[in-house]
Amino acid sequence: MVPPRRLGALAGLAVWRVIGRLRTSSAQITLSVVGVALAVGLVVSVCGISLGLASESVVASEETDYWIVPEAANVQSLAVPTGSVKLGDVHDASAHIATDERVEYAVPVSLELFPVEDAVTGERTYVLAVGVVSHPEAELLGLPLGRLAPGDPYYANGTYDGTWTGEAVLNEAAATSLNASTGTALESPRLSNRSFSVVGVSAGGRTATGTVPVALVHLSELQAVSGGATGDQADQILVSTDDRSVRPSLEGLYPRTTVVRRSGLRAQRVSSSNLPLAIAVSGAATTVVVGVLFVATLMGLAVSDDSESLGALAAIGLSRRSRSFVVAVETVTVALLGGVCGLVLGVVGIAGINAAGEAVLGVNPGARFDPLLVGFAVAVALLIGVLGAVYPVWLSRRTNPLEVLSR
Amino acid sequence: MEGDISDETFDSSVIVRGRDLVREYEWGGTRLFGGDSSPSVRAVDGVSIDVESGELVGITGPSGSGKSTLLHLLGGLDIPTTGTVTIAGMDTSDLGERGRTRLRLEHVGIVFQRFHLLPALSARANVALPLVELGESKSRRRERATELLEAVGLGDRVAHKPGRLSGGEQQRVAIARSLATEPDLVVADEPTGELDSATSDRVLATLGDVADDRAVVLASHDPRALAVCDRQVPLRDGTRTSGEHSHGRD
Repeated sequence: MVPPRRLGALAGLAVWRVIGRLRTSSAQITLSVVGVALAVGLVVSVCGISLGLASESVVASEETDYWIVPEAANVQSLAVPTGSVKLGDVHDASAHIATDERVEYAVPVSLELFPVEDAVTGERTYVLAVGVVSHPEAELLGLPLGRLAPGDPYYANGTYDGTWTGEAVLNEAAATSLNASTGTALESPRLSNRSFSVVGVSAGGRTATGTVPVALVHLSELQAVSGGATGDQADQILVSTDDRSVRPSLEGLYPRTTVVRRSGLRAQRVSSSNLPLAIAVSGAATTVVVGVLFVATLMGLAVSDDSESLGALAAIGLSRRSRSFVVAVETVTVALLGGVCGLVLGVVGIAGINAAGEAVLGVNPGARFDPLLVGFAVAVALLIGVLGAVYPVWLSRRTNPLEVLSR
Repeated sequence: MEGDISDETFDSSVIVRGRDLVREYEWGGTRLFGGDSSPSVRAVDGVSIDVESGELVGITGPSGSGKSTLLHLLGGLDIPTTGTVTIAGMDTSDLGERGRTRLRLEHVGIVFQRFHLLPALSARANVALPLVELGESKSRRRERATELLEAVGLGDRVAHKPGRLSGGEQQRVAIARSLATEPDLVVADEPTGELDSATSDRVLATLGDVADDRAVVLASHDPRALAVCDRQVPLRDGTRTSGEHSHGRD
């Protein structure tokens, strides 16, 4: 057992040697630090993305809202109207679901891509028309349903001869692209003798594929202009509840439908595939393997280059164990230095990924930095250092002082 | 002061004793189908030598005569093919690598031609290196290293890195390092080989001082270095020649 005082002194010697060689621009040491920094920076960035995904899935799991969607469709139809299989009698079905005291509300949702003319230029722009039954507490795609008149007045118990409100709540993207504001009448070749006007502009409209122009309207009015009134069709039913035991009864409500948890496409994918964990684990594993190979190779070269010093240490009486310890600490020190640099790179990388996502795709990828990543980066760097030290230590143990000093 | 090589009783003043030393090196590899085809070369051939405490012995001879090989044997860096080297009463051939490393740490100081100081460390830290292995406290290491550097005339250079020291100063730091553990024996391989004449004189004077209370063996073909030795052991083709002579230091 090596005394702690000696270990401390040898560790100090190793650290000073690393610092000294960094100052003299030792290529192997510098490259080792850079290599670990890049590897750790990459894994921190990747983990930032996976943390972002994981945090969304956490939000989803905290809520207990469900979507009833046709079996042939999937939750992507929340963002993009499929135009295929639809649910029927959705007003009655929603009302029936809402009678369950465990359910806060149930809102049928219909989605249509709708051409609307720009109020100023007349240029035609497609917006995502979202037909809903208004509920004061409900929110869809970030838009509050309560901005519309309560219920669905035009539906009138399935007669479709109630009061035509023509209300439309636009999100900011739609208002901008249509040059519309509150009070603006929306013109569309598909409206014939019907009309809509903007009753409010609100933030929101973010879907799995980014922020799209959205117009929130009453369901029956959208059905009327899109032909969905026949059979009272809609794409999905949003069910809000605090009780997860509702799910089985929802699943039995419609034949050939699927009940999925809320939060849209990304959360659905995440919750079903453990994607964040997979990304983090594979990223860390790749980083460790690449980092170990990199560090082992370069520190091995450094040991070969520095064999005269190691030979001198042996000659003056430092034991093989002490020399091995010095080389191991040097390797770990190099890896930890790389880890710290990599952490900084990772933080910059996370910011860069978010900025690039916004700039190129119009979507914030949601990568986020968590203080836990500091510990994670250090742990990965430490692991790289410890595993990467095996080869240089083995090389140093083979160093024959006489052979080196006789050169 | 010359040791009597025929006397096998161990004199307590003898620090290192070599008896019938042979060191062979093999050239090349082995035959593909058995048998050893490697010709061997005898770098040292039947040399015996005793060095006592307080004695400065110079091993001299032309290049390839076996000076460095003999020095490595006497310093415990290598073991003889046949024959025995006894340092402080211990036969180096009986010790494993670990034992010989420990023997060097405690009983042998080594001075190299090319100094071999660690460039990242200060002069004081370089001198203190052997004390690290002994587990000495930091304060003790600093104190001892400073004391030794002052003794070799470098008290004002303790914090300097080797790169900021002249060749002579670096060699004196190396001499100070060789004395850190208060060894019984110091071996120096061409200690003035990379120094100019003025600097060599200073280093040789330091080695002369070192030899006052311990044994010093140096290998050199520098006439100035040999001039300061108590006696010279001339070698030719690995064997001692008859021209050994001795004279006292001033």
